[in-house]
Amino acid sequence: MDLALFVVLIILLGIAAGLVGSLTGLGGGVVVIPLLIVFFGASVPIAIGTGFVTILATSSATGAAYVRDHLSDIRIGMFLEVATVPGALLGATATVLITHANLESALLVAFGIVLFAIIPGSLARRHIELPSPQPQDSRSSYLGLTGTYHDNVLDQDVAYQGARTTPALGVMFGAGIVSGMFGIGGGVFKVLALERFLNLPMKVSTATSNFMIGVTAAAGAGVMLAAGYVNPIVAAPVAIGTAFGAYLGSRVLPGLRNRTVRLLFLPVVAVLAIEMVLRGFGLP
Amino acid sequence: MNAPSPGSVGPPADHSLPAEAYARMTFVLRLGLGVALAILGGGIVAYILANPGATSSSVLSNNPILDYLSFPGLGSGLADGSIGAVLTLGLIVLVATPILRVVSGLYYFRKVGERAMVGITFAVLLMLLLGILLIGPHVR
Repeated sequence: MDLALFVVLIILLGIAAGLVGSLTGLGGGVVVIPLLIVFFGASVPIAIGTGFVTILATSSATGAAYVRDHLSDIRIGMFLEVATVPGALLGATATVLITHANLESALLVAFGIVLFAIIPGSLARRHIELPSPQPQDSRSSYLGLTGTYHDNVLDQDVAYQGARTTPALGVMFGAGIVSGMFGIGGGVFKVLALERFLNLPMKVSTATSNFMIGVTAAAGAGVMLAAGYVNPIVAAPVAIGTAFGAYLGSRVLPGLRNRTVRLLFLPVVAVLAIEMVLRGFGLP
Repeated sequence: MNAPSPGSVGPPADHSLPAEAYARMTFVLRLGLGVALAILGGGIVAYILANPGATSSSVLSNNPILDYLSFPGLGSGLADGSIGAVLTLGLIVLVATPILRVVSGLYYFRKVGERAMVGITFAVLLMLLLGILLIGPHVR
């Protein structure tokens, strides 16, 4: 394929990834990585390296808007990054070592399984707009993990407070490993941890996840870049497209109901998960 | 990038941080992303123009930045006007942008005297820098 056409197609792919990523709390890598492998013939580590760039662009683009509008909870995000960053460093290192051992097929199967793993949890809570109140634990109280935002769709002020921080930190460490290994941001797991354990509303969870995944991705991207697995001829067009798509998504999110956001991404995740597992077993 | 406000009438999510902190972090994210995209965009156009016969297969099998992944290599590449070095610089700015946001957080938590959050944020920053600067080159 001609290079100029390739770059244009990659930009379009980035736009789609940025849109999906900003609407779902994913980093967009979940769309970019499988499509780069399936349609563009990228190797698994190069696709993963590009996934990190997608995440960085999405997080910076949407994170800026959410921070400006106080929808991202900086304190909670910073607190949880203590767990995600070492996880991401560990995961990215594991991916480089797995690649050096020529076990890319195993990475693909594991990636597909990870995508499958996010579906049940999302389906279980797809009807919940706002969580029931839960008591703060001592750590949450000490660090002041509380906040308020105005929900435009519900037309009311919504107060929230962080609940079970210990399991949330554990899930975030796992999310960091997943992010570092597969370049997908781990946003799905982060959103689930923010909702299920910290008991935050969906929109705050999504915005805070978007805010957090940039730092997690920076850890993983730094390792992959230094290891030579970020190809800028692929990554640069993806970054440009993703930033634009994420911007479009950030304009759409405030008007969407939470259930809509969830239902948007579940079929996409399921199809991509099947594709990755089949490819990992040599059945494209 | 001016997205509409999803919660403009609501108070800040974090009541202890000044509004300036939110504004500064927004600025850091936007500036970093803008600079990175400008460098990467210019670099990719220059690469296409400099390689008229290149195909997707050739670029996927040859990463043009491998010579610029060390500080000396990047410095000499930029001095020589290498497109690969420029693209590497764009990627580094993109990676550094969220890290600078952590630095901003550290500054504002320190400014309001939140010692616990200062410690947490400093730990995050330290892990990021040590991890990227030590682990990446080591496993290459």
